[in-house]
Amino acid sequence: MTDPTTIRVDQYLAHPPAKVWRALTDSDLIARWLMPNDFAPVVGHQFTFHTDPRPRQGFDGVVHCEVLAVDPQRLLRWAWRGGGLDTMVTWTLAAEGRGTRLLLEHSGFDPDDPVQRQTFTILDGGWRSHVWRRIEQVLDAASG
Amino acid sequence: MAEPDVFAALANPTRREVLRLLREQGEQPVQRLADHFDMRRPSLSEHLRVLKDAGLVVEQPVGRQRLYSLRPEPLREVADWLTPYERFWRARLAHLRDVLDGMPDD
Repeated sequence: MTDPTTIRVDQYLAHPPAKVWRALTDSDLIARWLMPNDFAPVVGHQFTFHTDPRPRQGFDGVVHCEVLAVDPQRLLRWAWRGGGLDTMVTWTLAAEGRGTRLLLEHSGFDPDDPVQRQTFTILDGGWRSHVWRRIEQVLDAASG
Repeated sequence: MAEPDVFAALANPTRREVLRLLREQGEQPVQRLADHFDMRRPSLSEHLRVLKDAGLVVEQPVGRQRLYSLRPEPLREVADWLTPYERFWRARLAHLRDVLDGMPDD
């Protein structure tokens, strides 16, 4: 059953957890793969990400964050607020072979939001797990 | 933005199964599709009509048969709209991989 409030992305990276941890917690490095920021790996630290505004979605381009948990090379959690979202981003690292299994969970999406509610109606009934990957393959084939 | 009837078409498990069959097995006549389902053929024809109205399938007469095939374009619109944050994070994680590849190990 799909959890309608959480996005999960799981990825293997061919780099050790210490290195992945640096890329996740160094402000300059984060800016290179995510967004400009004033992050510091200190619980309670408040920081922002800056990106392009999306007026149609009511998003001014600023994500207001707060560091909620820091467990070096294992877990990092931010509050993620902006554009009507009040959500949480959790990074979990685990050594796997010579690399790292990195799990991203973006949780706290509101099932009562009308846009998201329609999304979840579609996602219900195993739609996501059973069909979504195949549709992605169709899209890949169609664009190839 | 995708038309609402695309979402309505996708919300039904039988219609999603029809799309899956067309994707995996290519174009086929309605009778071959009907063989997969425990339902009367008129019911399946109604599902096919909904899919056709949504632009998700096209039918082509060949001899006395009508061949149905998948038209994926509306799915792209849905995909763009459906999980913007998931797409966002997948793209950012690809960047993260590039950054890691360019970093020294210690």
